[in-house]
Amino acid sequence: MSEFKVHHHVSELMHVLGIKGSEGPEVYAELMTKNIRPFISTLVSAHQAKRKIAEFTKTPEEFLRKYDDLKSKNVKDLDAMVFLISKLSDDKSTTSVLSQNAKLYEMPMDRASVPAPGTKMTQAELSEVRSQLQSLATSGGSSQASEMFRKMMREKQVKKNLNMTLPDLPPWVFDRPFLTRDYVVLNRAPITPGVTLGTLPVGMQEMAIVNDGAEGKYTTLAYNQDKSGERSIVVDPSLDPSLRELANRVIPICTNYSTIVHFTEDKSSFEYGMVNHALCGAMKTLLKEYNVLIAQLENQYKQGNLPLQKLWFYVQPCMHTMDILSSIATGINKGACTGGVVLSLLHERTLSMIGDARGQELCLFLTQSACAPYFELLEKWIFKGVIKDPYCEFMIEEHESMHKEKIQQDYNDAYWEQRYTICRDRIPVFLELLADKILRTGKYLNVVRQCGQNSNSPQAEEILYTLKERQYVDQIEKAYNYASKLLLDLVMEERELIPRLRSIKRYFLVEQGDFFVNLMDITEEEMRKMADDIIITRLESLLELALRTSQANSDPYKDDLRVELSPYDLITQLLRIHSIDSRQEQVLQAVDPSEIHISGLEAFSFDYVVKWPESLVLSRKALTKYQLIFRHLFYCKHVDRTLCNVWTLNKSAKQLLLKTSTWYLLAFALCQRMMHLVQNLQYYMLFEVVEPNWHILMDSLRKASNIDDVLAHHNDFLDKCLKDCMLTTPQLLKIVSKLMLVCVTFSNFIQRATRTLTVESETSLLLDPTTPRKESREDEMDTSDTDKRGVASRVVSGHVSQLDSSEDFAETVTNFDSNFSSLLIDLLDKLSLYSATNTEHTKMNIIHRLDFNGFYTEQLEKVAADRSMAAMEGQE
Amino acid sequence: MEFWKQLCLEHGISPEGILEDFATDGTDRKDVFFYQADDEHYIPRAVLLDLEPRVIHSILNSPYANLYNPENIYLSKHGGGAGNNWASGYTQGDRLYEEVFDIIDREADGSDSLEAFVICHSIAGGTGSGMGSYLLEKLNDRFPKKLIQTYSVFPNQVEISDVVVQPYNSMLTLKRLTQNADCVVILDNTALNRIATERLHLRNPDFSQINQMVSTIMSGSTTTLRYPGYMNNDLVGLLASLIPTPRLHFLMTGYTPLTLGTEQNGEVDPTQVSHYHPSPHPTPHPKHSGTRDSNFCYISILNIIQGEVDPTQVHKSLQRIRERKLAQFIPWGPASIQVALSRKSPYVQTAHRVSGLMLANHTSIVSLFERTCEQYDKLRKREAFLEQFRKEPIFKDNLDELDDSRNVVQELVDEYHAATRPDYITWGTQKASKQSTKA
Repeated sequence: MSEFKVHHHVSELMHVLGIKGSEGPEVYAELMTKNIRPFISTLVSAHQAKRKIAEFTKTPEEFLRKYDDLKSKNVKDLDAMVFLISKLSDDKSTTSVLSQNAKLYEMPMDRASVPAPGTKMTQAELSEVRSQLQSLATSGGSSQASEMFRKMMREKQVKKNLNMTLPDLPPWVFDRPFLTRDYVVLNRAPITPGVTLGTLPVGMQEMAIVNDGAEGKYTTLAYNQDKSGERSIVVDPSLDPSLRELANRVIPICTNYSTIVHFTEDKSSFEYGMVNHALCGAMKTLLKEYNVLIAQLENQYKQGNLPLQKLWFYVQPCMHTMDILSSIATGINKGACTGGVVLSLLHERTLSMIGDARGQELCLFLTQSACAPYFELLEKWIFKGVIKDPYCEFMIEEHESMHKEKIQQDYNDAYWEQRYTICRDRIPVFLELLADKILRTGKYLNVVRQCGQNSNSPQAEEILYTLKERQYVDQIEKAYNYASKLLLDLVMEERELIPRLRSIKRYFLVEQGDFFVNLMDITEEEMRKMADDIIITRLESLLELALRTSQANSDPYKDDLRVELSPYDLITQLLRIHSIDSRQEQVLQAVDPSEIHISGLEAFSFDYVVKWPESLVLSRKALTKYQLIFRHLFYCKHVDRTLCNVWTLNKSAKQLLLKTSTWYLLAFALCQRMMHLVQNLQYYMLFEVVEPNWHILMDSLRKASNIDDVLAHHNDFLDKCLKDCMLTTPQLLKIVSKLMLVCVTFSNFIQRATRTLTVESETSLLLDPTTPRKESREDEMDTSDTDKRGVASRVVSGHVSQLDSSEDFAETVTNFDSNFSSLLIDLLDKLSLYSATNTEHTKMNIIHRLDFNGFYTEQLEKVAADRSMAAMEGQE
Repeated sequence: MEFWKQLCLEHGISPEGILEDFATDGTDRKDVFFYQADDEHYIPRAVLLDLEPRVIHSILNSPYANLYNPENIYLSKHGGGAGNNWASGYTQGDRLYEEVFDIIDREADGSDSLEAFVICHSIAGGTGSGMGSYLLEKLNDRFPKKLIQTYSVFPNQVEISDVVVQPYNSMLTLKRLTQNADCVVILDNTALNRIATERLHLRNPDFSQINQMVSTIMSGSTTTLRYPGYMNNDLVGLLASLIPTPRLHFLMTGYTPLTLGTEQNGEVDPTQVSHYHPSPHPTPHPKHSGTRDSNFCYISILNIIQGEVDPTQVHKSLQRIRERKLAQFIPWGPASIQVALSRKSPYVQTAHRVSGLMLANHTSIVSLFERTCEQYDKLRKREAFLEQFRKEPIFKDNLDELDDSRNVVQELVDEYHAATRPDYITWGTQKASKQSTKA
C-alpha cells in the first residue's frame, strides 16, 4: 500500500470514527506506516500477534472465530492486518483515544456490543479495515450473494473494456430447473412415505434406503434459502441405527457432489473468467468418472446386488476425491475468487497435500488445468506482448488511455510507468517473485512492436504448471532475457541511443564549443530583444546557420535541434519546480507569465525532437532537465562572453593608460576577478560535474542489460548533474544568479563608459590638430570661429565632465567591487557550509578552484568566525 | 614553416593541401587556420612576408611549397632585406604598406569570423622587428576590435650576437609589443637552445629543431580552437583569463613531454601538471625563482592539456599544488591554474597519451626586459652604431623614438614589479599622485 493510500485511509477512518482529531491524521498515518512495514511477517509473527490479541480481548473465542472465518475466505493481507492490530493493542495511547471515542459515539459497528473497550475498538477497526480491504481486493465477503458478485464483476468489466461486453447467458439457463446435474429441488409436496421406515425389517430398510434418491422418501434435502447455500441430506431418523450410521457415512459424498456440481455450473458462466472455467472443466471430467461409478452402482442395484455395505465399499475410494473437490469449490466460493487468486488457492492446496500422493496428484491435475488458460495469457504476454484478457484475470493490466505520444509532452513518465501495471491481487502466489520480470518482458515487446518490428519471441513454447517451479521460471526468464535484449538492441544499436545522447550532450551540455561561439556571435542582436519580440523562425534559421558553419555540421542528428523560448527565466522556473512540493506554489503560480519581461537570452533554450522509442529515455522530463542545465550553462557562457568583450575593449586603453585613467586598473582587476569566477564555475560544472558523470553514464549504459536500467542510469546522470551544478539548491542558485547579474551590469557599465571614452578620445584627437590652427587663425576669422569654438568648448566641457565623472567612475567600480565581493564571499561561505553539512565534497572543489591562491580565505574565515559568534550569541 | 607542417599533420592534410583519406570525417575545425579553395584543397590562412628572399625560397623549395597561396607570399621587390636595421624595416614597411595590406585585407575578408591576427617574428633582426612593428601599429589601427597575438622570438642574449644593433631593435620592438599587441608569447632563443642541449641532448641544435619546438608550442596553444570542446573555444576566452591588465601581456610557455619527432625524453606523468619542463622560457628557472628568492609570482597560469585526462586527477594535482604552495600567485587578486582540456589530434601518433602546454603570465619575465634595457643602455650611452638609424626618416630629426621606447619599456618593467605587490591595484593612483606632487 502506498503511503498516499495509507494517509487517505487513515483520514477516512478518522472521519468514520468521528474523531475530531486532536493530533490529526498524520500521527496515525505515521503509526500505521510504521506498523505496516514489518509486513515481511512470517506466519510465526502472525500467530504471535493472534495470540496477543486473543489475550488482550475478553472474548478471545469470538475473535479467533472471526479470524478463522476471514482466513478461510482467503482474504489477502489478513496476517499483516492482524499484526497491525496487535501492535495497536500494544499502543496504549491509541487504544485510549479509540476507546474514548467509542464511548462518545456509540457506533453501529457489528461488534459494538463486545464489552471490553480496547477490544471493541480493535474489533471495530478490524471490521473497518476489513471492509476497506474487501473493497480493495474485491475478494471480500462471501456473504454477498453470487448474484451480487456477478453484477459487480460485470460492472467492473464494463468499466474496464468499454467497447466489449461479456455475452450474457441466456435466461433459460437459470429458468429451467432440470438443466442441472445437481439435485433438483422441486416444490412439490413432500411425499408422505407409505410406511414408516422404522417399521420395516432391517433388510427391507436397507433396500429402501439404497433405492431412495437424494430427494427420496426417506432422505430429505435440507437446504438454505439461497442457491449457493450448503445442502445437507437428512436421513429419516426412523432408520435402523446401524444402517443410519452407515448411511450417514455415505451421505457426505452426496453433499460434496452437490457442492461441486453447483460450483461447476455456477462458475461456468462467463463472468468468472477462464481460470474458473478451466477448473470447472477439470472438475467435470472427474465428475464424469463419478457418474460412471454411479451408473455401475445402479446397475448392480438393479441386479439386486447392492447392499448398503457394498455401496459404502464402492463409494469409499471416490469419497476422498469428492471431499477435496468440494473443499476447493467451497474455498473459491467463499473468497469469490477469480483468476490469479484461484490459482493461488489451488497452488496452496496442492502444496499442502504433500503427504498425500493421490490427493496431490488430483490437486496438481486441477491446478494444471486451471493454469492452462492463465498461462496462455502469460505466453501471449511474454512472447508477443499482447494482452487479451476479457475477464480481467491476468495480473497485468493495460491502460489504453496512456498514449506513447504523451511522453513527448507530459512532464512525467506516465506512459512507461502506467500503461501496463501489475495488479498485485491477481498474481498467483507461485508467480509473485516473477511478476516484475513478466511485466517488463511484455512491456519491452510492446515497445518493439510499436516500432513496427517483429516482436514475437522465437523461443515461444508452451508453459506448463508443475510443482517444480524451475521449469516455468526458466522459461519466463528466457523470455525476459530475450525481450530485454531485443529492446535494448533496438534502442542502443538500431536507434543509436548513445550517439544520440552524445549529440544531445553537444548542445545541451555545451560540449560543441565552437558552435556556441558561432551561435552567440550571430544571434547577439536577436537575443537582446525581449522574449516576446523575438521571431522564433528567425532564431531557428540562425541556429541552423550556426550549426552548419561549426563542426556540429558533422553531427548526423543536428537537424533534431530546435529553439525554444521559455516563458520564465531559469530562476523562476527552477523555483517553481522546487516549490511544487512546498506550499508556496500558489504564490508563484499566481505570477502571470505575460507579466514577466525577460530578454531572449534568458528565455532561450533548446528543444530536441525525439522520436519513439528513444522518447522512452529522452522523455519530456529528461529533456526538461537537460534544458535546465543548458540554460544555466548558456547563461554562464554568455556572461563569460560579455566579460571577454569588456576585456577586448580594454585593449584600446593600453596606450591611454600611461597618461590617464588610473582607476582603470581597478576596473581591470575586478573584471579579472569576475572572469575568474565565471570561468572556474564553468570549468567546475563542465569538467568536474558533467564530464565525469557522463563517463559514468556511458560505462553503465554499456553494462546495462535492459531498458529500465538505461532509464535509471540516465535519470541518475541528470539528477546528479542538476544537483552538482547547484541547480537544486535555491539558496546557492540565487547567489550565483545575483553574481552573474552583477557581472553583466558591470560589463554593460564598462562598455558604456568605454564608448564615451573612445568618442571623447577621438574628438580630442580631432581637436588636437585643430586647436593650434584655430588659435593661429583666431584673429583673422572671428565670426566663423564662434561656431567652432562653441563646438570646441562643448567638447572641452564634455572632456572635463568626463574627468569629473572619472571620480564617479571609480566610485561605481568600487561599488561593483564591494557588491561582487560580498556576494562571492557569501557564495563561498554557503558552499563550504553545504559541503560540510551535506557531505557533498564536489562542491568543496569549487571553493578550492575559486580561492586557489588563498585570496578570499581571510574574508571567508572572517565570515565563518562572525557566524559562529552569532551562533554563540544566539545560544546564550 | 614548421608550424604549418605540424598543423597539416594534426589535421590530416597533405603537403599539397589535400585532405588525406583517413581524415575526411574528422571532428576538428580545419577552418580555423585553413580555408578551402576548392573541394579538396586546404589553404593556410597565412601571409608570408620577408624583405629578403632567402627564407621564403627555402620554403618554396620544400615539399610544402604548394600548400600556401602563392599570392600570399610577399617578397620585397627591392630584395635587399632590412640589413638588421629596425629603422630600415620600419621604413620599408611604410613603403610597402599598400601592397601588404591588400593581401591582408583579402585574407581578412575571406575569414567568416575573424577574431585575431597571429604574427610570428623575431625582435632582433631588421625585418621581423622593424616591419613587424610597423605592421603591428597598422593592424591595430585598421582592425581595432581584433586581437593581435604575436609569437616573438627573443634573441640569444648570452652570446654576443652578430647583430650589433640588436638591443636597439629589441627596444624599439618592445615598445610596439607593449602598446599594440594584445598578447605576446615570448620564445626565448637562449632558453630554447639550452633546452635543446640540456634536455634533448642535442650537441648543436639547428634551426629546424628549434623551430619544431616552437611549432609544438604554437599548435598546442591553439588546440582548444581547433578541437572544440566545452570551453575555451575562442582566443579571447583563452587570453582574457591570462591577462588581467592589458599591459601585462607577455606570456611564457612550458611544454611536456618534450620531444622532437619520435625522440622522447623521460617519463611523463600526465597528471602532474606541475611537472612542466621549463621549456622555452626566458629566464633561468622561472619556475623556481618564484618560490626561491624574490617575490616573483604567477599572475595567471593556463594549462592546455591534450588527450584523455581524468578531470578528478587534474583536480587532485591542482590541489597538491595549492596545498604545498608549489606556485606562488599574485597577492592582489584571485589567481589559479586554469585548465583547458582538449582532444588530441587523431592523426598524429605520439608516444604519450597526454601532453600539456603551459601558458603562464609570470612576473619574472621582467628580467628579460631588464636585461634588454641593460644592453640597450650600454650601447645608448656610447651612442654606438646609430648612423644606420639616422639615415631612416623616423630618426632623421632626433633619436626621441629610442628614448620614448626606453621609457615605455621602463614603465612596463615597473608595472611588472608592482604586480608582485599586494597594492598593485592602487599602483596607478599612487604614481599619478606622485607625478602631480612633482608638478
